[in-house]
Amino acid sequence: MTDPAVRVDRLEKQLGPNKVLRGISFEAQSGQIFGLLGPNGAGKTTTLRIICTLLAPDAGAVEVLGFDTRTAPQEVRRRVGVVTAEIGVYPRLSARENIQYFAELSGVMDGKVRQRVEAVIDRLDMGSFANQRAESLSSGQKQKVAIARAIVHDPPVLMFDEPTSNLDVLASREIREFMVESKERGKCVIFSTHVLHDAERLCDRVTIIHQGRVVVSGSTTEVRGTHQDLEDAFLAEVEGAPA
Amino acid sequence: MSAIRIVLKKELLEILRDRRTLIAIALATLATPAVLFVISQVSAKTATQAYTIGYSGQIPAGLDVLFNATGLKLEQVDDPAEAAKQQVDLGVLFTTSAVEEYYDPTRQSAQIADVRLQEVLSQYDAARIAATLQQRGIDPSSVLNPLPLNQHPLSSPIKAAGNSFLSFFLPYILITMSLTGGLSAALDTSAGERERRTLESLLLTPVPRGQVLVGKILAVSLISLTAALAAIASMLIALSQIHFGGSAGAFQVELSPLASGVMIWLAVLLAVSFSSVTIALGTLARNFRQGQAYATPLYFITIFPASIILFIPDFNPNLAIYLIPILNAVLVLRDAIVHGAVAWDALAVTTLSLVATGGLCFYAALRLFTREALLVRS
Repeated sequence: MTDPAVRVDRLEKQLGPNKVLRGISFEAQSGQIFGLLGPNGAGKTTTLRIICTLLAPDAGAVEVLGFDTRTAPQEVRRRVGVVTAEIGVYPRLSARENIQYFAELSGVMDGKVRQRVEAVIDRLDMGSFANQRAESLSSGQKQKVAIARAIVHDPPVLMFDEPTSNLDVLASREIREFMVESKERGKCVIFSTHVLHDAERLCDRVTIIHQGRVVVSGSTTEVRGTHQDLEDAFLAEVEGAPA
Repeated sequence: MSAIRIVLKKELLEILRDRRTLIAIALATLATPAVLFVISQVSAKTATQAYTIGYSGQIPAGLDVLFNATGLKLEQVDDPAEAAKQQVDLGVLFTTSAVEEYYDPTRQSAQIADVRLQEVLSQYDAARIAATLQQRGIDPSSVLNPLPLNQHPLSSPIKAAGNSFLSFFLPYILITMSLTGGLSAALDTSAGERERRTLESLLLTPVPRGQVLVGKILAVSLISLTAALAAIASMLIALSQIHFGGSAGAFQVELSPLASGVMIWLAVLLAVSFSSVTIALGTLARNFRQGQAYATPLYFITIFPASIILFIPDFNPNLAIYLIPILNAVLVLRDAIVHGAVAWDALAVTTLSLVATGGLCFYAALRLFTREALLVRS
């Protein structure tokens, strides 16, 4: 087996009075969709924020393609793209200007910025609204801008944190298709969600966390086991998890 | 392209597309000439306005002519004291030995009429004394003015009066506009970034956060500077066109090259300092409105030092006072305008103080910008 793209090792984190993570460990491979599952408040978002260096762990370690998040945060950020449910964009910039700004900040070479921006606009089929100010875009279009800015520097690791929670059916399907396409292009895709139906259809491997602890981990088929679907397996594991 | 330039370019683009900021700059440019025009109209009206004196008794011969010439209209009344309460601006009772005056000091028209009355009576007294002395064969000037004063002003009194006005008004405009001109942009680029939920994406880029902050501060500083200089330019143009007190040439404003240079240097320092302060406050806030609430006390903090020149015009402090930010800028600029000279040691201390203030605020903003709570709270 090849080295994992993302290695999370015994991660602990306290936010205010709450111990959010209590020793989370998992590995995610390139060319796979890895599902990080759990109910709201389980610690999924905090885990992703530590992986992408927005938060520092209290204990444990995270490596992204061999770079430690504590000692080489900028190298990690260069290799990670994050899409969240928060589709905040700069309202007075056009969709194209939003993407270009992040391309430049992400270190895309000066001569390649235009080329990369246009490539991403084509790939996400954004040509019809690329020159519109972001304030006039629909939620689905804004989500595309958010995805475009996350992938414009072509990161090998992509993380999706509840990416479809504010979207309609069509926009949600496009996101799912995009994740599959990214996996096929050899990216490591980490998909954090509490919508287990989506996870079951998309993920190659899953880890279920509850109250800051991993309750089960493995391939989607292994975790489902004898249960009818992942939701039943999830409920069985969560109900059996220590409080 | 360096990260600072990338952030600066994007912030300027966003600010220039923001109606709030553009309206603030336009209002700043138009407000000062409008205020000055109103002041000039009011002062012209006051200078030419006639005030009514309600009198009783016998008016001394010739005094009525002086009253008319000074814009005081005489109106006979039964009770001058009663009439002075509302009916007329001033009440006067002429007796054989004195002039009894009745006025309400809370009425501005009474105050102006009182000054004119005293002027008229002193002229009348001087004329009567001079006539009496002449009748007795004495030269009035040898008695009334035994030690004549011959004035030789070393600079134009008209210009000095203009510069005195400018020494209060210009620092006031400079300071308030440096603060308010960029305030909306500062809050938009800091608190607005959290409110719009773009902060997390920005912090996910590999650019050092210090460079992001410098780009933002530079953008806001440029807007503050533009607003302040535009307001001052419009004020100077207005002052060159408007005449105060109704008499042309009684008031001349001229900003020397030295004062202009000092003003621009201080404007740059103030713009950078204020931008750092307001961005730090904005970073502390969760949204634009909260940022405005945090920034409101700044208005009072900045207006107070600017007003000190009005209340203590001859305030000549020691060098240590120049360590106080904002007040130091007011004092240095006042000296440059009024005296046409700069105390270089005071300017050096002022520069040091404003740079240190800006640096401390930048450090505070950077600390706020890099703390985890910024993301967790949002």
